[in-house]
Amino acid sequence: MKTENQIETAHVLSSGKQQKLFFAGLLFLVVCFLILDIFLGSVSIKASDVIKAIFTNTESNFETIILKFRLPKAITALTVGIALSLSGLQMQTVFRNPMAGPDVLGISSGASLGVAFVILGFSANISPDSLKGLGNWILVAASWIGAGAVMILIMFISSRVKDIMTILILGIMLSSGISAIVIIMQYFSNETMLKAYVIWTMGSLGNLTSSQLNVLLICVSVGVLLSLFSAKMLNALLLGENYAGSIGLNVRLARIVIFACTSIMAGSVTAFCGPIGFIGIAVPHIARILFKTSDHKILIPGTILTGGAVMLASDIISQLPGSDSVLPVNAVTSLIGIPVVIWVILRNRKYSGLF
Amino acid sequence: MKKNFSEMLTLNSLKIGYASGSHENVLLPPLNACANKGELIAVIGRNGIGKSTLLRTLTGLQPSLGGEIFYSGKNIRDYSRMDLAQKVGYISTEIVKVSNMSVYDLVALGRFPHTNWMGKIDTKNHEVIMDAIEKTAMSAFCNRFVSELSDGERQRAMIARILAQDTGIMVMDEPTAFLDIGSKYEILHLMHLLSQNSDKTIIFSTHDLHMAISQSDKIWLILDNRLMEGAPEDLMIEGAFDHLFDSSSVQFNSENGTFSFRSEEKGRIFIEGDEIRRHWTEKAINRAGFSLSEVKTIPYIIIPSGNNREWKLTTDISSVEFRSIYELVSFLSKEDILSI
Repeated sequence: MKTENQIETAHVLSSGKQQKLFFAGLLFLVVCFLILDIFLGSVSIKASDVIKAIFTNTESNFETIILKFRLPKAITALTVGIALSLSGLQMQTVFRNPMAGPDVLGISSGASLGVAFVILGFSANISPDSLKGLGNWILVAASWIGAGAVMILIMFISSRVKDIMTILILGIMLSSGISAIVIIMQYFSNETMLKAYVIWTMGSLGNLTSSQLNVLLICVSVGVLLSLFSAKMLNALLLGENYAGSIGLNVRLARIVIFACTSIMAGSVTAFCGPIGFIGIAVPHIARILFKTSDHKILIPGTILTGGAVMLASDIISQLPGSDSVLPVNAVTSLIGIPVVIWVILRNRKYSGLF
Repeated sequence: MKKNFSEMLTLNSLKIGYASGSHENVLLPPLNACANKGELIAVIGRNGIGKSTLLRTLTGLQPSLGGEIFYSGKNIRDYSRMDLAQKVGYISTEIVKVSNMSVYDLVALGRFPHTNWMGKIDTKNHEVIMDAIEKTAMSAFCNRFVSELSDGERQRAMIARILAQDTGIMVMDEPTAFLDIGSKYEILHLMHLLSQNSDKTIIFSTHDLHMAISQSDKIWLILDNRLMEGAPEDLMIEGAFDHLFDSSSVQFNSENGTFSFRSEEKGRIFIEGDEIRRHWTEKAINRAGFSLSEVKTIPYIIIPSGNNREWKLTTDISSVEFRSIYELVSFLSKEDILSI
């Protein structure tokens, strides 16, 4: 609903009509992919049975598959797509770096470290299975802290180093360093904890319990709401901190709000679904190509819809419709995201523009 | 044009510089200056003296290390960031590089302190934006991307942005630094118009002394030991600009506000002929190390007029003709005509 308000309030240029068309098209795609994602899967169920399972109470096997597995998974995919894409958009603007994204600059690694601390470290007395209820929140909070700490570190670096490529390389170093710490922690942890952690790193949209899905939905909703508040700040930050300050933005406050928003969204997703690559960096660029604007009042809803559609599509592809095997969703998102990222790098060599 | 001489900006023993920890690096002795409504003020000083730091301090982007800055009689410290953004706008030397940003969007950013939390552009804001775009003659570029503009057009768009911000004072850090000569004068002309017609106080730094002297209402001349302010002519009479040069080989000509290299005078030459050609011939012989003789003595030059298309140089021993000033000067530089 919020996205529609956004369209209304966005100022209309000559390209305004085209933008509305794209919003409608994307919304249509999201709905289509959401339905397809529920209808298609490794167990083939007839369309009529799917509808029956959703709207009637038959207590069949199909109903269990649809309601307990496919529907939550589709909702998770949608949520994850929105959260990662939005945090990618915010990071790219704040860092003024087209290569920024939760997975690229080590934000996801930071979140992983937080998760590793919980699964491998503090839960020595508790079995990993007992991570329910409050446990979910502890896991998420650890992930937020890890992501937030890396964000602040990268911000500190990028205030000193202006070169995009240098920051990128430092981000990769940071990721590697964090991985090294995680490996050491793995080395000293016992078999059950290790197994729980390794399963988590594989990343999955389908392993969430309903209470975990609730926590994820709450966190991402908070993140999306905060991001709507941040549209004006992000627009100001496009010109860099000096200009943003000179037109009246409290740069420090803006950074805190945006970092909190990004850490909450990227952190929560990473906590429950594992590190999912390339959505956060690629989707904002797709939205920019489609909407041809730098205005976040349009880019934010655009990125939300594009991110949801792309992640749902990835999930559909990962189930390999027609066969009973399932691909890791991480592989699919990478294959979709990498060409976009390569395109952005090549384009950036030609033009001096940052985005 | 009647100007309202109300004081917009006052600097009172302002100390500028950088503070790191307890150590303060004060760049200049305390500065005193003021700016009135509708004035075009050029800030001049050598590289690294602290022009940019001064301008950043004025806009509140950098804290001062002492003294006071008053906007309309109110201390800068008593302004919130939003309120200050409605008093003073800023253009830095940084080149804005954002693709997919239309000129309209860029100018709309100037409305930041005037819009609601969403940054909604309503009819009133839209009108102010379009007015700013019109005043800077950017109407044709409204939907163009900023990344596609030439340097001059982009600078005009930046000025439109600051206009949309609707501040009484505009601070610009070297607004013409990277522009070609045509755009340079276009931008300067625009700044001049804004100060004259829209009553904007414009404070800009520049290295182009000639431009500053001919166009600005006032100059803030930053020297190592003080800030001198006044109309360009006042400073000229005081010989203030001579302080800009350490080396004795460059001299400032107080009569016409130009610079020349001091060189040993080789001699005097009289020039006979009409105004324009004589003016430029004089310039050329100056460059070659000669000065103009007031009375007709030998050597003298007769410059082309009527059917005569050649420059005729007559010395003690000979008379030589040249087809262009270039040839004349080449000859003067090579031959030691006076000692012959």
